[in-house]
Amino acid sequence: MSVTDLAITDRPRPKGAAFDPVFKWVCAAAATTLLAALTGIVVLLAIGGWPALSKFGLSFFTSTDWNPVTDVFGGEGPIVGTLVTSFMALLFSLPIAFGVAVFLVEFCPRILRRPIGVAVELLAGVPSIVYGMWGLFVFAPFFATYVEVPAMSAAQPGSLLEMLTQGVPNGANILTASIVLAIMILPYMAAVLRELFLTVPVQLRESGYGMGSTTLEVVTSITLPYVRRSAVGAVMLGLGRALGETMAVTFIIGNSHTLPKSFFDSGSTIASTIANEFNEATTPMYTSALIALGFVLFLISFVVLAIARALLGSEKAV
Amino acid sequence: MNAVNTDDAEVYEQYTAQIAPDTIKLQTRNLDFFYGKNQALHSVTLPVINKGVTALIGPSGCGKSTLLRAMNRIYGLYPGQRAAGEIMLDGQNILDKKVDVATLRSRVGMVFQKPTPFPMSIHDNVAFGVRLYEGLNRAEMEQRVEESLRKAALWDEVKDKLRHSGLSLSGGQQQRLCVARGIAVRPEVLLLDEPASALDPVSTAKLEETIVELKKDYTIVIVTHNLQQATRVSDNTGFMFLGRLIEFAPTAELFSAPKAKRTADYIGGRFG
Repeated sequence: MSVTDLAITDRPRPKGAAFDPVFKWVCAAAATTLLAALTGIVVLLAIGGWPALSKFGLSFFTSTDWNPVTDVFGGEGPIVGTLVTSFMALLFSLPIAFGVAVFLVEFCPRILRRPIGVAVELLAGVPSIVYGMWGLFVFAPFFATYVEVPAMSAAQPGSLLEMLTQGVPNGANILTASIVLAIMILPYMAAVLRELFLTVPVQLRESGYGMGSTTLEVVTSITLPYVRRSAVGAVMLGLGRALGETMAVTFIIGNSHTLPKSFFDSGSTIASTIANEFNEATTPMYTSALIALGFVLFLISFVVLAIARALLGSEKAV
Repeated sequence: MNAVNTDDAEVYEQYTAQIAPDTIKLQTRNLDFFYGKNQALHSVTLPVINKGVTALIGPSGCGKSTLLRAMNRIYGLYPGQRAAGEIMLDGQNILDKKVDVATLRSRVGMVFQKPTPFPMSIHDNVAFGVRLYEGLNRAEMEQRVEESLRKAALWDEVKDKLRHSGLSLSGGQQQRLCVARGIAVRPEVLLLDEPASALDPVSTAKLEETIVELKKDYTIVIVTHNLQQATRVSDNTGFMFLGRLIEFAPTAELFSAPKAKRTADYIGGRFG
């Protein structure tokens, strides 16, 4: 009797059949661990931050009065600083990342493709503390001498320039912090944008060129619209990185809890505040305020990443 | 493998010698083509008659698409691909470095194997190429779009949804949209690279009608695997094999009385 004579229910199962349920449960356990860790972090941040959040209420977000001596904590400075530096970093790095990606996909001679690709990866691999040191020891003094001092001496009293440049010309300000951040997220965004451009079907690009378009016309009319949603997603992921970056910013932002009055004024971000002050948080309320800041940062990052995911995911539906 | 014996070469020269030079719109002369170190075309000399349809047939990998892609220099997008020899368009060698490729491609349009609507509305797809070269006012543009869609036999199906995305159309409609987009810029030559290979029979029939209609105004070169299609739409046919043009003749002649043995074998279904 051959196997084909057996009823379907009686036929031998594959040799690995017994292990499949085990495999399934191992994978499920791995996924659950991740979910549990995430939930744990959110819950603990919320619980730890609750004393500060409930005591100061809305003023935790709207007051810049951060005073450990009197145990009063208003986080507006770091929260605004985080958003401002991240968005400025995005503003600086996006055009360059875009240029790098377009160059690599459309113009780059084959011999240069690899060196530039490696450079982008290396730039992404440099630890953030190194960026911070470079920012503090090299970039900040350079910026102070060649940009801040000339700009401030050129500013007439009462002019717009004076308003935009007030501060101590030591290179430690939100502008230099944003520039260092921009350099840090640049390789990441360039790499993602390049990958996106490569997903444009060859025939679509050829059709564009086949109509007699120049490269600029193909990129702006065909390539970009084709990847537009994903591109916004890529940008959001870059923003997510900038939001949470700690060490490089801590080195160079100047660490002041007030709202920055100009581009040349020092400020702080949530991450830099936590990194600077966790050691000094001696009262329970101080600790709670820092944890509450962490919770806010988590929420901001979560929203940004959720938007990014939604945009990246929706590309496939088109 | 040396595919061309002297008989084949003679057969081919007999016909091309009869063609009056002033009826030739585009001609490749001793065209060699290379993908890096691989030579894909060997000394191809092919005349394309003005306001007619020239079909290129042959087994996969014989170089017919490569030949087509040389005619508007689309291969230039890829470093490592190069052509040697001459491609004369109205007496001017388009392989000359001084020729601007964008301008060339607006004169020699191309429709690809798969439909490739741009990510924009139906109207904008057709208007896209026109906007690159001409400053038409709104009314003129509407007229051009309608005219192009009519010529591509798509107007009646899309006239009420010109603002819809080009991607919302069916495959056959998308391909006719690509044809409309190609002719909207009023090219002199239209290159069709297996334009019906992704289409169902009904859409294919419509596309073929369109091609026959278009040859009144345009010079068309079509690459096809479908021999019946070649007989239905073309005036002249070239049979290619292993990167060489084996035989070139009026379509009826080539299919009814092929002179080269390889051509006879191919159209008789004995290989390829």
